[in-house]
Amino acid sequence: MIQWLPYLFLGLLLLAVLGWWVWDAIVHRSAAELLTPRQHRLGAESVGSRRDLGERIFGPQDWDFVVRETPPQIQRMFQRDRTLLAIAWLRRTRIRTSQVMHAHVAVARQSKDVQIGMEVKLALSYLLFLILSNSLIGWVWLRGPVQTRRIVRQTLQWVAWQRAAFERLMAVVDPANHKALETGFNQGTAQS
Amino acid sequence: MSYATRNIDIEPAITDLRSRTLSRLPGDFSRLVYLASSRDCNTGKYYHDGLAFHFSQNVASKAMALCHKEIFDRLVYASLGELIDELSNYISSTDERPEDFLKSWEHLGSYRITIPSECDELEADVFLSNLKMALAILQTRQKHASRDEQSA
Repeated sequence: MIQWLPYLFLGLLLLAVLGWWVWDAIVHRSAAELLTPRQHRLGAESVGSRRDLGERIFGPQDWDFVVRETPPQIQRMFQRDRTLLAIAWLRRTRIRTSQVMHAHVAVARQSKDVQIGMEVKLALSYLLFLILSNSLIGWVWLRGPVQTRRIVRQTLQWVAWQRAAFERLMAVVDPANHKALETGFNQGTAQS
Repeated sequence: MSYATRNIDIEPAITDLRSRTLSRLPGDFSRLVYLASSRDCNTGKYYHDGLAFHFSQNVASKAMALCHKEIFDRLVYASLGELIDELSNYISSTDERPEDFLKSWEHLGSYRITIPSECDELEADVFLSNLKMALAILQTRQKHASRDEQSA
């Protein structure tokens, strides 16, 4: 029992840091307006009439239609196809965020004016994003997008909120990559 | 050439294309097939004699490409039910027997040519998947209808 204590302590410490960071982000939300998925989508739409592909893939409308109107064989086909699409979308979202993060790390390595606190927040935010997106991919692969759509929707809202906090941090730490992040999300998560 | 200048050139061509040609076609799916079949598969350029005569071949091709993408976007984000209605409308507008049409489209994968040249890869996958589903659903309905006819 005693040998587990250090791990338990580390786990609690990590949770406390994450909790503090989440609280901090909520408290300071009013200072920099959060970019909700809908706002983001409208912004993207005005640029290139783009919409949210994630919502299109995970949305319940098609599944309700398939359940109502088609035999089980077609329902299975639908589930199989949507699982593949959902995983492809989640992977792409993860890859695009990772690309921006890697670009930021490359810039930060050469910068003499690195703010440690901000970098730690950014790293934690990115880590949390990776954990969430990988968990979602596994979850969708196991259960399919239909059974997991509620948890996916909640997680995506959380990810959108995380993303807003991540973007705010990037805007402060690395304005150049912040622009790339905005573009990447416009083409990756929000509208696609 | 700047984006704004290019838009000024293309906008009248787009308006012309919409009002004279596309509005006469029954539904977005018919428009999509029309625009895709006006494209040269070897070069990716679109051809429309009337439009090219009034504007230029280059402007006509760009206007058609933009309209193609616009209609494709609408269909990607249309629900499966709406897509099925669009596809049914298109099938009715052709002279083919629905069962032959559905069989041919399923076996040949003819619907793949309807994807615009410049589009998001995942959007194309979503569209193709939805279209495959729509074909399967229409085929099932078709089979049920012919079975009902035979039993009657």
